Amino acid sequence: MSMFTQKMKMLTAVVMENDRDSVVRALLRKGVMEFVHIDALPADKMSRLSSHSSSVPRAALTDARVRIETLMREAGIPLPDIESVDIDQLPPLDMEGYRRFLDRLSGSLQTIRAEQKELNEKLLSYSEIQRYAAEGKNEYLDLRTGTITHGSVKDLLSRLQLIDGIYLFDAEPYISLTFRRDSQRISDLMDKFGWAESPDPETQKNALPEALGKAKALSVEIQQKLGELSEDAKSKILESSDKLIPMWTNVRVHELCEHVESCFSYTKNTTLFSGWVPAEYADDISRIIYETTKGVSIVEWTDADSIPRDEVPVAMKSPKILRPFQRMVDNYNTPEYGSINPTPFTAVAYMLMFMLMFADVGQGLVLLLVGLIGSAVYRKHPEMKDGLLSRYLCTLLIYLGPASMVGGLLFGSLFGLQIPALWFPFDAVVEGEPVPGLINSVYDILAITIFFGIGVIYLGLFLNWINLFRKKRYIELVFDKNGIVGGVLYAAGIWFAYGFVRSGYRVFPSAPWFMPLIAFCLVLILVKEPLEFIIKKHKGQDAGTISHLILSTVMEFLVEVLEIFSGLLSNTLSFMRVAGLGIAHASLMMAFYQLAALPGNAIAFVIIALLGNVLVIVLEGMSAGIQSLRLNYYEFFTKYFTGHGIAFEPVGLRSRIVSD
Amino acid sequence: MSRVSDYAYINARLRARIGIMRSSDIIENMIKAPTLVEAVAKLDGTRHQHIADVYRSTGDLEAAELSLIEEQVASYREVVPFLPSESSFFMTVLLEKLEMENLKTAIRLWYSASIMHHSISDRAKYVCRTLIVHPIDYDRIMNASAFGEVETAVAGTPYKDILSAFTFESLSKSGLFPLEIALDHMWFSHLMEAIRKLPSVDRHLAEDIYNVDIDLKNILILVRYGYYYHLEGARLSEVIIPAGYIGTEAARRGVLRSDDPIASLKDIVHRRYPAITEEIDNIRRTADDFTTMEENARQIMLIENYLAAWRLKAYQRLLLGKPFSIGVVLSYFFLERQEDSMIQAVLSAKSYSWSEGKIREALGL
Repeated sequence: MSMFTQKMKMLTAVVMENDRDSVVRALLRKGVMEFVHIDALPADKMSRLSSHSSSVPRAALTDARVRIETLMREAGIPLPDIESVDIDQLPPLDMEGYRRFLDRLSGSLQTIRAEQKELNEKLLSYSEIQRYAAEGKNEYLDLRTGTITHGSVKDLLSRLQLIDGIYLFDAEPYISLTFRRDSQRISDLMDKFGWAESPDPETQKNALPEALGKAKALSVEIQQKLGELSEDAKSKILESSDKLIPMWTNVRVHELCEHVESCFSYTKNTTLFSGWVPAEYADDISRIIYETTKGVSIVEWTDADSIPRDEVPVAMKSPKILRPFQRMVDNYNTPEYGSINPTPFTAVAYMLMFMLMFADVGQGLVLLLVGLIGSAVYRKHPEMKDGLLSRYLCTLLIYLGPASMVGGLLFGSLFGLQIPALWFPFDAVVEGEPVPGLINSVYDILAITIFFGIGVIYLGLFLNWINLFRKKRYIELVFDKNGIVGGVLYAAGIWFAYGFVRSGYRVFPSAPWFMPLIAFCLVLILVKEPLEFIIKKHKGQDAGTISHLILSTVMEFLVEVLEIFSGLLSNTLSFMRVAGLGIAHASLMMAFYQLAALPGNAIAFVIIALLGNVLVIVLEGMSAGIQSLRLNYYEFFTKYFTGHGIAFEPVGLRSRIVSD
Repeated sequence: MSRVSDYAYINARLRARIGIMRSSDIIENMIKAPTLVEAVAKLDGTRHQHIADVYRSTGDLEAAELSLIEEQVASYREVVPFLPSESSFFMTVLLEKLEMENLKTAIRLWYSASIMHHSISDRAKYVCRTLIVHPIDYDRIMNASAFGEVETAVAGTPYKDILSAFTFESLSKSGLFPLEIALDHMWFSHLMEAIRKLPSVDRHLAEDIYNVDIDLKNILILVRYGYYYHLEGARLSEVIIPAGYIGTEAARRGVLRSDDPIASLKDIVHRRYPAITEEIDNIRRTADDFTTMEENARQIMLIENYLAAWRLKAYQRLLLGKPFSIGVVLSYFFLERQEDSMIQAVLSAKSYSWSEGKIREALGL
């Protein structure tokens, strides 16, 4: 793990045109390079270069890939691991052949769907007939029993079958059960064959149940057939998986190559390309290019320090164990190149905050188990879509569960019941019970979180000072609200507030150094703008006019002072929510146990206590998680995390999405 | 209850769904899919998953479309309980529109079977029978031999009075057009009544939106029936919806009693919607030959596309407007309906193997 963002280097290379494909594939295999378009060369040199022209447009490759993926998903075929494929041995791209194959496969699925549709139409008719009979709407049905006097029964049946209904024509008397709305058509047809209704009342009486029985049997048969056809459609694709998978791999590799090559420029015989690589891989990349081109290439490296910081992509290297917290950082923004990697600090701060808000050994264990079980289920079923309890949340719970358990041990809480505490009994303090030691009221708990907040804010300021020092922004380091002057003013404020609280909120503390220190700091803030003006003038840069300087000095001073005094105060007080959530957690558990005791019944006690625990785990757990994130984003990150960076997106065989 | 407490929860929920809907590229992916099977697969993992499931298990596109209507009804039902009473009444009237269209489909089938003597069994299966707002016996309508039975099927609903004004003979003579127009008029009068009952902020928003909607309907009536099918002035006055800018202005000026009501109506349309003047002028009154019919249809499509774009902008403005109002709810249902009809259109086009370009042209994309 690196404490700072990874050091980057920019590669510029020239290879012979006939080595181009091999180099691209070798670089894709390594997958550590973000390619950039060569557009920074002088215009006269650029005009001698030509851009990439491909035999197969990338859009066509993407469309083909998406099409193959759609069909693979239809049968639940997972995407292959492209890294295990020897991409040098791939067959030539046959887009026309692929298209024909996919059309054929899609066409065969369409044929199955057409068969299904025909069956489904019959099923809907039989269902409608059965529904009318079940709802006593026999008047919408047309039941006929009888025989024909001339013509062939086979002919009649084949014509009748064009009209929805149940036809029992195996033996006389024949039975037909259709819709009344089709009566006219049925009559017209039957008349042609001399239909004679059966006069036997018993036959008439038995005909309806017999026809309905047949409708039911046919419905079951059709449903079964529909299911089989659905499976047939899947099987058709699965049978083609031996063609689809290599096809996908080939198209995907070409798509990636096209993406990479779209950044290249060419002379008649050479290819010129450029891209960013983490410095630790620079030697590997050089070796790969030299080996692939058998030394016929030129490789040049440019150090990121000689390029404006905001143009360098940012890569952060955190251990696998911190990945859930890396995602929190990524969701917020990308840090500036060369600044501190926020992930380890976020991990510690987040877990500490959660621990203080949701301290319980039992409930923490539940979170841990939910996280472990959820992760195991997702691992077992990789195709499973994320539910409310997503993959990410399950992983996060594996960290938060133990944090909560440690909190529970420190504060003596097991499913809201008091157990011996390693530090102080949180629940007893909240209940107002006499507790020995330093912490014996909710005000003491609030004070702990205020001190915790001060610690977090100072850590943020300190990290900011390191960042500014590394970026050589010394003026900001000293004069900014998040710089040293801000830190000093914050310390003075803490001393002042602490003295006031210590006096029982009666007297403001006084010291001979206090006012001169405040005045000195304010002067430093005031001179920041004029100082920057002088430096810019000295360097010959555009510093603006004097009137602009006066206006900006006054405005900057007012805003900075306001932000230091009100901003840092509100940031600090914001940490009281940590105590608030912790107290609410303890109070809710107390309330549930009191409720559980009311019926005076052991079973009722267990049920209510169980429900109370579930409710607290879900609601309080969620609340503590969200508040911890909020405190990290708004109270901690704002002190040192500028978020001006561009994320490093290397292209390799692993890349899931390729974008220009 | 304050407006914030009335709308905060449901609007936050719907805004989240609107965000998903707007960022989704379902339609684009479906259009690009080369076959129907692949187009349906693009619905996987979206709120329309159900359609894909129905299609996969039955192969029946119409059954899948029926499930879409049921989804729409369920969607309204889900939102209504979270709204204050006046707004929920208004939403129920909007749901009534869906019911009225379903009722029209059922009556068209009855007409086809009883008057035109066509077989309807293959289509009758796909009429939505779910209770939408009023209890309608759709089975009875589609199995009725006499018009009286159709009336009985809608007994106890507001449609009964409308249907009672018609007879088997009058429908045999004039077709379903007058009945359908009467149903439309009834619904628009319900709508205006529901809008009047809304609190002032919501009322103004709903008026802005539905006045445009009524104008669009009136323009299409003017173009289709007045200009294209040569409907007489007297008949036209029965057809034009007496609301919205065009209907109100026409009533104020008394244009429907004038010598040339169509020219006067056109003048009103030109003042309010000048951008479609050319298309309306391009519609030729003689529509006997195929080329003229095709050209007229193309011009009507251009007008429809322009009006659809106008509506879309109006609904998008609602989203940027007052956050705690019925605006978000209206926008949500508009966008949902728009997406649903696009999906239906693309699926139908794919089933006829239309090319990507032809689909885009038909959808005005």
